[in-house]
Amino acid sequence: MKITLEEVQATLQIAKLNEEDLNPTIHCLSFGENVSSADYCLMELDDTLCKHIEAGQSLVIRGDKDERAVLCSCDKTYDLRIANTSNLLLFVPGCKTPDQLPITQDRACVVHAEIWGFCNSYWEPRKQRPKLKKLKKLLMENPYAGVPLAGQEESKENRYTMQDLLERIQASEEEIKNHLVTIHACQIDGCWCGLDFDYEMKLLSHVTQLVDSESWSFNKVPLQTSLEELAPLEPREMIEHCLNCYGRRYTDKGEVFYALHEDKVCRGLALMLLQNAVKFNLKEFQEVWQQSVPEGMSTRLEQLKGVVLVDRASSPETISLLKVEDLPEDTLERFNLLFTLREKWTEEDITTYIQDLCGEKQTTGALLTKFARSSLQNGIKVFNSRRPVAT
Amino acid sequence: MVQIVIRGSVDGCSPPQWLLVELQGEMVSRHNSGLAGNVMGDLLYTKEGVPVLIVGHHILYGKLVKLEKPFAIPMETDHQGLTSTSYTVSALIKQKLIFKTRPKPIITNVPKKV
Repeated sequence: MKITLEEVQATLQIAKLNEEDLNPTIHCLSFGENVSSADYCLMELDDTLCKHIEAGQSLVIRGDKDERAVLCSCDKTYDLRIANTSNLLLFVPGCKTPDQLPITQDRACVVHAEIWGFCNSYWEPRKQRPKLKKLKKLLMENPYAGVPLAGQEESKENRYTMQDLLERIQASEEEIKNHLVTIHACQIDGCWCGLDFDYEMKLLSHVTQLVDSESWSFNKVPLQTSLEELAPLEPREMIEHCLNCYGRRYTDKGEVFYALHEDKVCRGLALMLLQNAVKFNLKEFQEVWQQSVPEGMSTRLEQLKGVVLVDRASSPETISLLKVEDLPEDTLERFNLLFTLREKWTEEDITTYIQDLCGEKQTTGALLTKFARSSLQNGIKVFNSRRPVAT
Repeated sequence: MVQIVIRGSVDGCSPPQWLLVELQGEMVSRHNSGLAGNVMGDLLYTKEGVPVLIVGHHILYGKLVKLEKPFAIPMETDHQGLTSTSYTVSALIKQKLIFKTRPKPIITNVPKKV
């Protein structure tokens, strides 16, 4: 039943609205034949997401049955929540705003606009850190550990293509790609897998020993010569992969070189030394460590932030392995573990191990206030658990 | 794991823009016949651009507001035999007309003084 202009004008008269005060276009709103609130959903978009959609790009919702759904753009991950409002939200395609209507118009006219749908809840994406711990776990199911011994076949199981990873990890493609580089994953026959740690250290040792024996500057390691010298020991692709992980590739007069990254190499060699010991005497460790790195490189404890724990309270001082990436992703579990390992933490030490838990606009200070209790020890602020922890 | 794609658009163009009308309270049809197919009311703008809504015998004054965060309306895409679910953004909403003030009743029958 379409309302006529006369009917609308009669309504205006009854409502005591003066036609002179009004814009002549009147929208008559009615519900569409197929309207119902269940079929439609609204999704709130931040500026970045909105631009994505307007450019015609896609977003993907990812999640397992027992996981919380996340929304991924090509390079960011968002947590998806439903927000409710007590107000009724109607969406009207054909309705114009005052600036879209002609200002001057002689006669009044009626525009029929159909309400397409309505609801009182909407999806609210909130930016969050991607869940990447699972990625390393998957890739370490069958890591590459060197050419298999004679007679043995290399297992190809549990190796994943990029597509496989996108189907299992709650993160955007770009975040996954960046993490693959960070964890030194390698691609073999199109499938991604992790690198066995001992093997990775073997490769690094080959490279650093070669640099020393050839007396090269660690900033100018020639690719070709390295491959030739080390080919009898390991596959060429692996040597090159190691150089990519620990150095920066560049070309000089047509020849390819690598500038080894001092911090990365020192950190790698430190991990190798600490791997098999529970605790190491700090002074002894520092001596051995400096001797193990290539000529010209300097070791510094700052290079090991986030991977080692230094105990200055014990006598002698000790150092042990504690990698952030090995800690639980859940905030409460993380704090519980940290306090189990050490009863009291200085702010500087504990911040290193909770920095990655911070969501957008969240500070480590806020986390400490929520999950820890502070006190003064010898004039220094320390943090301990809020609840009794079994050690 | 499930992967549900929400496409920006089918042809690469920006989705059309719709308007959101936000009302406080519930909308009930007069004869309890359901809302589908029924007229809701009339929307007008004053010359100053103030939106006015006449619903039944109520009149409401509102405001045109630009949304801080726009909304997208994803709708299920036609499958045509595909096994995975996918959605396409049918429209974007960047502005809304919000009616927060108390509706004023329209008095139609004023008894005349005799």
